[in-house]
Amino acid sequence: MKRLIASTLAGAMVFAGGAAWAQDAVTLQLKWVTQAQFAGYYVAKDKGFYEEENLEVTIKPGGPDIAPEQVIAGGGADVITTWMAAGLAARERGVPLVNIAQPFKTGGLQLTCLKETGVETPEDFAGRTLGVWFFGNEYPFYAWMAKLGLETDGADDNGVTVLKQAFNVDPLLQGQADCISTMTYNEYGQVLDAGYTADDLVNFNYLEQGIGMLEDGLYVLEDSLEDPAFADKMVRFVRASMKGWKYAAENPEEAAQIVVDNDTTGAQTLAHQTYMMSEVAKLTAGSNGALDPADYEQTVATLLSAVSEENPAITTEPEGAWTHMISDQALQ
Amino acid sequence: MMALVVSLVSSGRRAGVLPPLVLGAAILLLWEVGTRGFGVPSVILPPVSAIAVRMVASHATLWEDFSQTFLKGALSGYIIGCGAGFLLALFSDRVPFLQRGLLQVGNFLAAMPIIGIAPILVMWFGFDWQSKAAVVAVMCFFPMLVNTVQGLAAAGAMQRDLMRTYAASYGQSMTKLRLPAAAPFIFNGLKICTTLALIGAIVAEFFGSPIRGMGFRISTEVGRLNLDMVWAEIVVAALAGSAFYGVITLLERAATFWHPSQRRG
Repeated sequence: MKRLIASTLAGAMVFAGGAAWAQDAVTLQLKWVTQAQFAGYYVAKDKGFYEEENLEVTIKPGGPDIAPEQVIAGGGADVITTWMAAGLAARERGVPLVNIAQPFKTGGLQLTCLKETGVETPEDFAGRTLGVWFFGNEYPFYAWMAKLGLETDGADDNGVTVLKQAFNVDPLLQGQADCISTMTYNEYGQVLDAGYTADDLVNFNYLEQGIGMLEDGLYVLEDSLEDPAFADKMVRFVRASMKGWKYAAENPEEAAQIVVDNDTTGAQTLAHQTYMMSEVAKLTAGSNGALDPADYEQTVATLLSAVSEENPAITTEPEGAWTHMISDQALQ
Repeated sequence: MMALVVSLVSSGRRAGVLPPLVLGAAILLLWEVGTRGFGVPSVILPPVSAIAVRMVASHATLWEDFSQTFLKGALSGYIIGCGAGFLLALFSDRVPFLQRGLLQVGNFLAAMPIIGIAPILVMWFGFDWQSKAAVVAVMCFFPMLVNTVQGLAAAGAMQRDLMRTYAASYGQSMTKLRLPAAAPFIFNGLKICTTLALIGAIVAEFFGSPIRGMGFRISTEVGRLNLDMVWAEIVVAALAGSAFYGVITLLERAATFWHPSQRRG
């Protein structure tokens, strides 16, 4: 009897304790597979930064057939990382996404050409075949071509032939395209690994071409922010995530190892992730997590400058597509 | 053409065309009411009416994609793959040594996953429709080969002996006895390949493609959250696949009217 009372008491105490320490669950849907592009979140999870904020974060890797905007619309995530062009496009299509934080200050998207093809400046693009990633990553490219005044139907030599590039660098290696899309922190390294040197290649960084668009930001559904409890969760999530990003930038090798440990596919190598981490750190440098409205304005202006049949990202100026409400509190 | 429509309608009447039509209409109605009534976001499932509107508005794009994927990629690959499978089966009938090794090699080809061969064929044949046709040809080759080999063995020993007593040549016994006897098997292969051809041509476009084609459009518009366009392409694919299958079935009916499976009481 004594024992029964004791165990009941103990059970009650555990239960009471559990109620006090229940962690708030947050599900984050990534834009792409587990890699150092998302190191900050994995570091925050492994280093216990989320736990310190009383959060239990589930990180869902993306992939070539996963659109984070669709996942969050279907209730499969609380918060997603995506590029601003895709986020704004989704907003116009009835998924009211709001940017709550912007860990990436600059973007890593570029067009990489083989020098031997004779491409030296954007003026040389006419009549060429260019590899482009679709699935929501094509908006910057179409904006750029509109700016250059190049047709993208491949009908004549005044325009370019667009090749839908799979998420690899094969078209460049096989000579099927003069230029391909690469990320500074990923595919560009794959081209170098394939035996080309930096001298064999010409890079056009989208930012430097004046058509930069914000890349990985954190987005939530607009109406979910009306719930104070959810907003408070996001404040803590952003704070811990930025702590993770800071740690990752300062300890790139450890961060790369954490990413590899979290990669359930076993596809990532430590060497490549270390390279990626050092490149991603350049993009997160200069961002404390708060979105710079000037960068937002530039992204929107670029998108609106190139509205066409092939590039239906956004047709009108978005309203309320970002907020400082979360980052202001998180970064106090 | 008129005769074809008439025969379709009359056969439809016999099979009872009303139940599937009613059921189909009910499903579409439920879909429309459900998506609108429950306020399902269109990026998850657009209502039927939105898909219909999109099909009308984008008919030019749909046609361009259809001709790229179906007329160029799937059909040419289908003809090449089925033709090669059929001819090789005939050839191996003459050369018994081939017959012993052929099915094993064919089996090996059939076991290769499309996801593995598509990128390789894109590397060899470029990213336009030629590589898609190659994928389809590889996919269609084996079912056609196996079915034809099987069919050529279908004629009974008694019948073959009879041909021999008539002093029929190899070619004569082929055309007069063995190929007609094989026809049900051959058409079986052809029917299996219609579905494979469409799937192969669409999926092959996920691995690098020009900016047109059904597979390209589906994968791209999902990323752009234009689900109405994705569904419009799916409708086109379903119609094309059914029509393709239907045409082969009608050909079969004309060619193997004598076969017990074609009897309609």
